[in-house]
Amino acid sequence: MVKLSDDENRIIDGQAGKLKQVAMQNIVRYAEILDAQSLCEVTKATVFCGAHHYLDACKSDDFDVVFSRMNMASDEILTFDTTYDNCYIQSCVSPCDHHAYKPFGQPKAFFKKNRHYLDRARKAGVNIVGSCSPYLTGWLPVRGEHFVTTESGVTVIANSIWGAMGNADGIEAAFWSAICGRTPRWGNHVRENRAGTHLVQVETSIEGMLAWDLLGKAIGGKLLSSAIPVVSGKFSEVTFNKLRQMLTALAISSNCEMCHIVGLTPEANSIDGALQGKQALGGCRIDDTCIQEAYDAVCDSGAGSVDFVSLGCPHYDIDQLKKTADYLKGKTIHPDVKFTIWTLYPIKAIADENGYTQIVEDAGGSIHTGTCPASIGDRFLSQYDAFVFDSLKQAECIKSAGAKNVYYGDAFRCIDAAVSGKWEGRCRWKK
Amino acid sequence: MQMEKIIITGRGVIAGVVEGEALVCPKSITGWAGIDPETGIIEEHGNINKGKSIKQKILVLPGSKGSNGWSCYFGAALVAGAAPKGWMFTKIDSSAGVASAVMKIPTIVDFDESQDPCKLIKNGDWVKMNGETGQVEISRI
Repeated sequence: MVKLSDDENRIIDGQAGKLKQVAMQNIVRYAEILDAQSLCEVTKATVFCGAHHYLDACKSDDFDVVFSRMNMASDEILTFDTTYDNCYIQSCVSPCDHHAYKPFGQPKAFFKKNRHYLDRARKAGVNIVGSCSPYLTGWLPVRGEHFVTTESGVTVIANSIWGAMGNADGIEAAFWSAICGRTPRWGNHVRENRAGTHLVQVETSIEGMLAWDLLGKAIGGKLLSSAIPVVSGKFSEVTFNKLRQMLTALAISSNCEMCHIVGLTPEANSIDGALQGKQALGGCRIDDTCIQEAYDAVCDSGAGSVDFVSLGCPHYDIDQLKKTADYLKGKTIHPDVKFTIWTLYPIKAIADENGYTQIVEDAGGSIHTGTCPASIGDRFLSQYDAFVFDSLKQAECIKSAGAKNVYYGDAFRCIDAAVSGKWEGRCRWKK
Repeated sequence: MQMEKIIITGRGVIAGVVEGEALVCPKSITGWAGIDPETGIIEEHGNINKGKSIKQKILVLPGSKGSNGWSCYFGAALVAGAAPKGWMFTKIDSSAGVASAVMKIPTIVDFDESQDPCKLIKNGDWVKMNGETGQVEISRI
């Protein structure tokens, strides 16, 4: 039985309106399934807004019908017109660039529908940002702050790197929490539950973004369900971008929500500290072979012509755009290749200001905001035959969607492939 | 021919009695783009059950996997009429919890290690589950 406060009971009784009542009822049902005893206040939320393709299952274009059935699990039609005042809420990616549809072969009607869905969310209190990297616009929950997010990588990043408290939840529950301001006090919201459960000893050097990406997959592939790894190794030149790449890959390769890295993350000053004095339930080792196998499982073998090259998952920050522009300067993208970079609107504005966008466009590429190839989906991707990504997450998503050839590698080798129009043996990564 | 019967018990969290053919994914199904919600067919690259449908099955999973969009693909399958009849999770996690709160189909979770349904149930077994008592009856020839 979930114990509710007076405020929570007031919402359940309908005194704060129908939408908040249904949101709270859903949160309480969710809490009962988890066997949680109480709820906690949520002050940071990202929510999944826009006319995403999975919503097509509802067979309706009426926003209220779609929102009620798909996000609120309600057959009663509700109006999304309010959110929790004390919560910083912003939107995750949508299936459209915020300003363009023609480059993606999307109909104008779909672009307008997506805009309408975003506008409805904005009017209800959601900041329309459109990014899987909400921290790049200041969405930064501090240690001990309770958050919800629709981006799996952000769940692991916020728990692990910042010591904030959140579970993976789901797209629906993120809306429920953003509306009623509560989530079950369970899992990572409880200090004692954040103790590491399994030791991971990394016995190989991890250098460069790609190796960190692969480390995430290698660990994720060995983790038991719901395990919290405590990762140890001789790491050097660690950056936030390397960590977010690794934790994003870890999230999609397992159901991991929190990862201690000894000496790097705030709840892991030591192995014992990360375990909170408890006994580890098991462990594994990651060596050269594990990392290479992780790569070979994602990147198709062989070489061949390519017609789609994409950088930026998670969304690039401004320094990544700078480094890309520096490398690309003076080069020309092969005429048969679509070369795209993905970021969020304010970062692109800074890239415009610094001249990076011009360099990318002069070379024959483009920078887009608010979405990513996997989120845009088939209508766009079906125009291409052979894909190159600098991100394990994009490569895995596009593979699952049935793409013919998917190559994956270091960002600069991806640019080389975009320039030559070929994925060659030398582009392939080797441990 | 001898019919083998096994009974295991977890924590029943959404009531209802259903029975059907088991589909067991010992490494779960990835969230975003793991299934086609219109048909329930598993699309995940590398999934041992790729190409099989969750529709009308008793789905047996260790927990969720991957994207925070895990629940919404199953919720979409429910709206499209391609949901499983019931499902069970070796150990509940937050994404599986949200998916269960959305689906409202009979659900059993949190089995003892010795009664892990992912190890004891095989594809094609006939499974009867009671979402109130948490009892799972497994029949195989």
